[in-house]
Parts: sequence; structure tokens; C-alpha cells
Amino acid sequence: MQIGFIGLGLMGRPMALNLSKAGHTLHLWARRPASLDPFKAVDAKVHASPAEVARNAEIVFTIVADAPDVQAVALGGNGVAAGAKPGLIVVDMSTINPNAAREIGASLAAKGIEFVDAPVSGGEVGAISAALTIMVGAKPEVFEKVKPLFEKMGKSVTLIGDIGAGQVAKACNQILTGVTVAAVAEAFNFAAKNGADVAKVREALLGGFAYSRILENHGQRMLDRNFKPGFKAWMHQKDLRIVMEEAHRLGLMLPAAAATAQLFNAIVGSGMGEDDSVAALKLLEKLSTPV
Amino acid sequence: MKLGLIGLGGMGRPMGEHLLAAGHELMVWSRRPDAADDLLALGASRVASPKEMAAGCEIVCTNVTGSADVIELSEQLGEGLAPDSIHVDFSTIAPTIARGLSTQYAARSRHFVDAPVSGGTAGAQAATLSIMWGGQPALAERLDPVFRCLGKTIVRVGDAGAGQVAKACNQLVMVTAIEACSEAARFAQAAGIDFGKVRKAMLGGSAGSRVLDFFGGKMAADDFVPGVEARLHHKDFVMVMDEATRLGMPLVVAGAVMQQLDALMAAGWGTQDTSRLLSVLERCGEYP
Repeated sequence: MQIGFIGLGLMGRPMALNLSKAGHTLHLWARRPASLDPFKAVDAKVHASPAEVARNAEIVFTIVADAPDVQAVALGGNGVAAGAKPGLIVVDMSTINPNAAREIGASLAAKGIEFVDAPVSGGEVGAISAALTIMVGAKPEVFEKVKPLFEKMGKSVTLIGDIGAGQVAKACNQILTGVTVAAVAEAFNFAAKNGADVAKVREALLGGFAYSRILENHGQRMLDRNFKPGFKAWMHQKDLRIVMEEAHRLGLMLPAAAATAQLFNAIVGSGMGEDDSVAALKLLEKLSTPV
Repeated sequence: MKLGLIGLGGMGRPMGEHLLAAGHELMVWSRRPDAADDLLALGASRVASPKEMAAGCEIVCTNVTGSADVIELSEQLGEGLAPDSIHVDFSTIAPTIARGLSTQYAARSRHFVDAPVSGGTAGAQAATLSIMWGGQPALAERLDPVFRCLGKTIVRVGDAGAGQVAKACNQLVMVTAIEACSEAARFAQAAGIDFGKVRKAMLGGSAGSRVLDFFGGKMAADDFVPGVEARLHHKDFVMVMDEATRLGMPLVVAGAVMQQLDALMAAGWGTQDTSRLLSVLERCGEYP
């Protein structure tokens, strides 16, 4: 199949390579030419604009930073819509505001283009090993067309509902992961300041009701003091901003998410935005220590 | 009236001066003997123990740090207090502790009155404190002459413990407002704007408050010399949060402020002013 792919960052690069490995031809466009280097050895054609990519593809995947980026790539000058053949499917795998996804979907529909929101969870590791969790909002018949491709990138693929529903699920995912990363960091700092062996505390907790994949994976990285991303703290901050925007729009009470959003503001404000979210531990340690 | 006073710190000393100035007979006792020197020079007499004070006074006033100190003093005074005499405690302690002491005293026909104050050392010196007390209404007649020497606003809030409930509310509103000032100051700083000017503008508007005036002024001047030491506000907040947990009652904003106070203590600023809450935020990030 002729597949367009835009957004070749930490996540997008391995996802696109997995589609290529499955025998598809990639059509690429990138803001930074260096992002294209890993694709020299595979069946991939580089184009001058998203519109060019769309002209050559049946399905275009995008995975970029935020809603304005999706908006620009899909609907901007020389955007995907400008080159789309009738019936093109645009699959956005970025994490953006659910309402923004609905609006982009409506704008594309008006031009005869199908839109799917399909944000992912699982981080870079999951992207490389094609083990992502993919949460999809789409018309059922459009979902069926894209599903075989999703299965080349992820292990758990779920149609949640209409356009926007994938982003709602992702927002829920980010509430849980953000609050849990903060909770694990707090527990570890609590254990350390009380003179307990944090590794043993983690080991014991893994067997009980506090078990979570975050305690296991992020917890191990905290123990190793490995703050390399993984998932960058500034992106988690952005995702929690999306969550809180929705809370404000709908009048939702999210006290734990709100507190965690402030913690992530402090992580980014302290210059640790490029670190992994587990940098939460560094911040808590600093703030629990004399000046 | 024959009065006793224990707790001669930043609050207790000026309160003692006003009681003497009003013509009351004042007995004092302190753990550190030199703490009493100023008041002795003004005519107070020293006693050897709380028990001795109890035996010679109609009303004993205490002004100490926390619940544990008040309980200890009540045990020492207990033996000596004459029937129908009053122990007025100006300290900030847990409402449940105050209620418990009141019940114990009543069982022996003595009175315990919780009468925490607000206004800080400045209010104590100027005799403009707010006094919020809890106890039997019939005691008002005997307490008013004492209270009127010390404060301007005197309110019997209710029965035993009610004064402490009012004080807890006072601390909730005040310290939360200090945190709000800190956040506004940091917000202005992060935008490269002089908080001194922001404060001046705000003081004339709907956000104007005594906290913005006093603590906001200290923040604008980088002046962290206490007023009231932050560790005391921290202690009060711990008590309030305990009470919230006991009642199963959410204090959403106070819970967040409690954490900032914890971070203030961790930073080693407990003996400085609570306007150090601004410095806690400064530790959380650098902005252009």
C-alpha cells in the first residue's frame, strides 16, 4: 500500500519503519531533513510538502506535537488536504485536544477526506517493538480499513467510538500515567527520606495492590537514576494541559490531575522538560532538601 | 484582678505589659528565667512554679506553642487552681484538645477557656488583637476586663473549643492568602514585572487585603524577617489537616498549601517569615 507518514520523531520514526517492514511503500515529508536519514535504506519516497505526500498516498499518518501542528499539516497551505485524492484517510496519531480532533475531522470531512484520531501509549520502547496501545476514534468502516496497519505498529488496537473518542481515551491514559508517575516518585522519595532501601520497597510493592507497569518500569528508571526519555516531561505537561482544558470546558473536577499538572509545570520550569517524566523524582528530592 | 501569665515570648510579653498597665496584679513564670526580666521591671512578681501561680490567681493566662505544652501546663496548674478559677489559654491548639481540657476542668469545678488570638506581635504590642474564645457565656463578665486590655475585637464564638475552630478558620484564610500572594508575586516576576507595582495597584482593588499589604510588602522587599515564624503556621496547618482527616472533610486548597509549607520547612526556612512561601516557588523553576 502507498502510505504517507508525517512526523518522524522519537515515536513516528520506529512506527513508520514498522509499516515499511510490513512491505508498504512510504511517502515522507519532514521539516528537518535529518529526520529522513533512517529511511535511506528502505522503500520510501521523500516529497516537498504534505500535499505532495497526500497526492501519492491512500492513507496519510501524522504524529506531531500538538493540535496547531496537526491543523497546519492537514489543512494549512500545501497541507495534506491540498493534495488529497477523494476518499483519502488521514490518521492522526498525535495526542491533541479531543475537541480539536473533532473540529479537524469536520473540516476534512467537508473536503471529502476521512479522519481518524488514533493516539498511542507505550512510549518509544512500545513504538520500536510494535507493541503500542492504539486508541481509535473513527467511523467503523474507516477503522476497518486502517486496522491492519495499526496492527503492524501496536499490539492492542481498540475502536473507542466516533472521531475524538481516541483522544478522550488518551486523555484518560495521561491522567493515570501522570498521576501514577507522580505517586511513584512521591513514594520513592518518602521511602528514601525515611531511610528505607527504595529498591526493596519497590520489589515488595510489585507483589501487592500497588503494582503497576509504571511502578515496574518508571520505578526501575528512577532507581537507576536514568532520566533519558522515554517520554519527555514537557510532553506530559502538554497532555495534562489538554486534560485540564477539557476539565475547564466541561466543568469537571480533577483534583489529582490538577495537582500533577502543577508538578509537571515545575519540572519544565526547572529546566527538566527534555528529561523523562521520571524527573519528577529529582524535583521532589530537591524540594525536600535544605537550601 | 490577680492574674498569672505563662509564656513570655513575642506575644506574651507585650500582653503582660498591657495587663500591668491596666492595673492588674501579675504573677509570671517562665522556663527561661531571663524571659521574665522585662515584666518584673514593670512590677510583675515571679513565682517558683505554675502550681504556686495557680494558688494565687483568679485567672491564669497561658500563651505557649502547641497542644502538648498546654496539656503539660494544665497538669502542673491543676493541683493548685482554686474552685471557680479560670485558665485562659491564648495558644493555638487543636479544638478537640481544648474541648477535652474544658471537660476535665469542669469535672473539678474549674474553668478552661480557649482564647486564641490573631494579629501577630504587632497586634499584641498595639493591644489590637482579635480574640476568639470558646467557653461558658457566664464567664464573659470576668474575662472581658482582661480581654479588653489586649485586643480590639473580642468575640465569644461558642462553647469550649469554638475559639480554636475560629482560629483554625483564621489560619486557613490567612496562610492560603499568603500562598496566593506568593503565586501572584512569582507570576509577575516570571513575566518580568515588578511585583511591588502590581501589589500597589492591587491594594486599591478587589484583591486588596491585609495579607497582600503586609506579607505582599515583605515579598516585594525580599524581607523574610518574621513577623510570625513560618514553623508556627506550619504547625497550625498540620493541626487543621488532622482535623479535616478526622472529620472526613476535604480542604482542597489548604491541602495544597500544606505541601508548600512542608517544602518551606524542608528548605530550612521555618524560623523565618511565612512570606518565604515565595522562595519555595522560586525553587520550583527559573523563568526569563
